[in-house]
Amino acid sequence: MVVVLAVLVAGGLVWLARRNRGKILAPVAEAESGVPGQPYVGQPIPAEQRPLGRIDVRGLTKEYRGAKVVDGVSFSAEPGQVTGFLGPNGAGKTTTLRTLLGLVEPTGGVATIGGERYADLEEPTLRVGAVLEASGAHEGRTGRNHLRVLCRAAGLPPARADAVLAAVGLTTAADRAVRGYSLGMRQRLSVAAALLGDPQVLVLDEPGNGLDPDGIRWMRELLRALAADGRTVLVSSHQLAEVEQLADALVVIAAGHVVATGTLASVVGGHPDLETAFLELTAGKGGIQ
Amino acid sequence: MTQPAIRPRLISAEIMKIRTTRVWWIFLGIFTLFSAAALMNNFLSHHYQLYPQQDLADRAQALARATEARTPAGAAAIAASMMTSGQFLTVLIAMLLGIHVVTSEIAQRTVTTTFLVTPRRERVIVAKLAAAGVFAALFWLITTVLDAVVTPVFMASQHITASLTGQGVIRVVLLGLLAFLLWAAFGLGLGAVMRSQIASVIAGIAIYVGGFAVAELIFHGLYDLHHQAWLLGAPVIAPAVASQVMTTPAPAFPHAPPQWAGAVIMAGYALVLTAAGIVQTRRHDIS
Repeated sequence: MVVVLAVLVAGGLVWLARRNRGKILAPVAEAESGVPGQPYVGQPIPAEQRPLGRIDVRGLTKEYRGAKVVDGVSFSAEPGQVTGFLGPNGAGKTTTLRTLLGLVEPTGGVATIGGERYADLEEPTLRVGAVLEASGAHEGRTGRNHLRVLCRAAGLPPARADAVLAAVGLTTAADRAVRGYSLGMRQRLSVAAALLGDPQVLVLDEPGNGLDPDGIRWMRELLRALAADGRTVLVSSHQLAEVEQLADALVVIAAGHVVATGTLASVVGGHPDLETAFLELTAGKGGIQ
Repeated sequence: MTQPAIRPRLISAEIMKIRTTRVWWIFLGIFTLFSAAALMNNFLSHHYQLYPQQDLADRAQALARATEARTPAGAAAIAASMMTSGQFLTVLIAMLLGIHVVTSEIAQRTVTTTFLVTPRRERVIVAKLAAAGVFAALFWLITTVLDAVVTPVFMASQHITASLTGQGVIRVVLLGLLAFLLWAAFGLGLGAVMRSQIASVIAGIAIYVGGFAVAELIFHGLYDLHHQAWLLGAPVIAPAVASQVMTTPAPAFPHAPPQWAGAVIMAGYALVLTAAGIVQTRRHDIS
């Protein structure tokens, strides 16, 4: 009796596993990793609501074991603009962005969005979208389920997951496990997660990593469109030529300090291009060792 | 307005996280097979208790035990035992599930996304606790249904009768549910404190299995020196012993404290570990 029961249960489990395997482990076709033809369409931000999207970082400091990784960093990112956040490796960009997003507790200073700390936002998904690392999804979960989990946690309808999957061109790969995604697809899944709540503020850490030229252009157009709608876009990047085409304003950080802020034109100043300006501004101020 | 720490939508999201990966099916499969194997083992063990083998050295003593087992009290004890088959082993899987629920987020680096959606981290831990509780209760339900299907067949085949809906059986079955819930909370708290998946699993198993032996060794050693009777009941401070005391109607061992003492100690461990896990989760930078 027990043996029969055990065999039945085991058989049922094998059947279920096989049924799911087809969905989860099928390889991703190359043709399905393209970018969407249509740009993302969100709700434009009304003028009176735009100040709520202002990012303010004041005297931000973060120490790890006595070493200041971020040291008195202050800057703002304005609504309706793309603000590029530049710096050499180890300059403190990621720590600054993670502190802004409540993931890292600052040693000193404060970072706010519309005057509120991220950790104090009651519905952060509806105010701020973030791309911090490729996908941020469980390797064994499908892209669609990853987004549906986030929808549930944020109180959004599951249909929103399908909408953002379409917006980033992942509809046909939506029911495959994330472990089968390329780096570019993971980045786009991460962007999809950031767009779930149609937020007023976008914070992106190296979103171009792993994207092919088509993907980079798509990302540029997406971020420009979001800023044109009155959103605040703060984006860190090492791709200086790309930032030059994308950003309205710049914040340059080196060795934990802000070394330049202002409009793209004012930071480039008399230099022939952004790369030359960047290398001069950060010369001898590599990342904190 | 301040929102409550318990948010149904977060619990729903955490439940969905568990059931949308293959790990859940592996847990379910292992649990079901363990339950079935434990039930089969219990089936045979009680069969040989009622019908001792011919070639036993102490057959007379075994026959006396078999006669005692056929009394109404003996049959009721067998029914309770059958209805909680393998619980000593299966609650361990509930603990491992509790560990998995919290540490898989760190191992898979999904914790960043989770805390971006819900920056008030204590809410996430509370939701995970509730979700782990739901799946622990599901484990309990599976094993109880298996037991409830097989136990009447066993009783009839062995020609003994005992009510499966009597107060005694219902009580041990419900205490079993409490054990599943508390071990899931224990695992979740342990995982949140330790953060490392592999270290938490090793520590959890060591506490469960090793704690039993270490507590017995220490307190029996102390008893040999001081001959205080309470020392023989003191191993109840080990979580696995506390759990055993909590779920065993008769004294689990000589000088064992009452069932409620086991329940209080086990609940205390679950509560303290979960609280420590919340503190650790709130303090830790996600970098």
